[in-house]
Amino acid sequence: MARLRVVLLLIMSLFSSSLLALSEFHLELKDHLFYPSSVTIPAGQKVKLIIHNLDDTPEEFDSFSLNREKVVFAQSTTHIYIGPLKPGEYEFYGRYNPNTARGKVVVVKDQGANHAD
Amino acid sequence: MNSLRLVFILVVLELSLMQGVYADSNPVDKVYHPLVVANERKVEWRFVARELEDKNYLAQRLAYGQAITERLIVEAYLSGERDQSDDYGLKGYEIELRYMLTEQGQYWADWGLLLEFEKQHDSDTYEITTGVLFEKEFVHTSLTINALLIYEWGQNLDNEMESEFRLQYRYRYMPEIQPAIEIYTGEDFIGIGPALMGVHRFEGIRQLKWELAFINGFNGEKYDETLRFVLEYDF
Repeated sequence: MARLRVVLLLIMSLFSSSLLALSEFHLELKDHLFYPSSVTIPAGQKVKLIIHNLDDTPEEFDSFSLNREKVVFAQSTTHIYIGPLKPGEYEFYGRYNPNTARGKVVVVKDQGANHAD
Repeated sequence: MNSLRLVFILVVLELSLMQGVYADSNPVDKVYHPLVVANERKVEWRFVARELEDKNYLAQRLAYGQAITERLIVEAYLSGERDQSDDYGLKGYEIELRYMLTEQGQYWADWGLLLEFEKQHDSDTYEITTGVLFEKEFVHTSLTINALLIYEWGQNLDNEMESEFRLQYRYRYMPEIQPAIEIYTGEDFIGIGPALMGVHRFEGIRQLKWELAFINGFNGEKYDETLRFVLEYDF
């Protein structure tokens, strides 16, 4: 019974977190490059990274430090949830074009807008 | 939201059915992660050696897997096992479906489902496994839990329901080196031990993943040690 109660509490917290509105940040993939190549997000918050692939080939967003891996199909849009993160820089790259498709997520303490470098 | 309701129902169902039923085979095996990557294709080799005081077991599995949608991957296995007379041969065939229920990082935790169907090679003996896969990130570490419910039926076997529990707590130190602790429970078995895993990425989407774990059983046997090893090539 105690185990069931723990599960119920976990599920309730899972539902409630889904109701929070998330800040959205956009990235474009064009000619196998990420635009912007640097995205600044606030620390301690979960955010939604929306990736628009304008190329005619698929790409796979990969980041060990962000612990994310997702395919972005050609001429399509996908999204990735990241955070909450501590301040710092988190690199990501495209698995199909690792030499060109590279970027980083910069996590800052204060509320930041999306800065392009 | 519907998928979350489904998770809720399945978790409650699994946990309520798991009360008092434990699997009688060695539950030490791969700890499944809920993540499925679109276009993923892989070949996999699993090796499990268990040594008890007076006997030992050796099992290997070869698999081919392919993601057929953005959230669903199918894997087919051939399994081999050394029997009591030291003969090594084909033991059975297995088909496995793993479904990613929630997007990575979207909710408080990531959830997935597992469904396996297995047939013994030389007898009409079957096994079906359903499971809930859970993963939660804590900064640089990940906690993964599998709650599995197994039903066996067929020739020379009493139909029975069993359960297994697998837990892995992994430190994502660097891609190639990720130390972990693993815990397994089944019928008359509680095992715990260290594990080491990693991934080496080649050009493009090709990568080699490996896992090594050494699990000590605490189930009354004086000596019960299991070594498990997984080599997976994704392409």
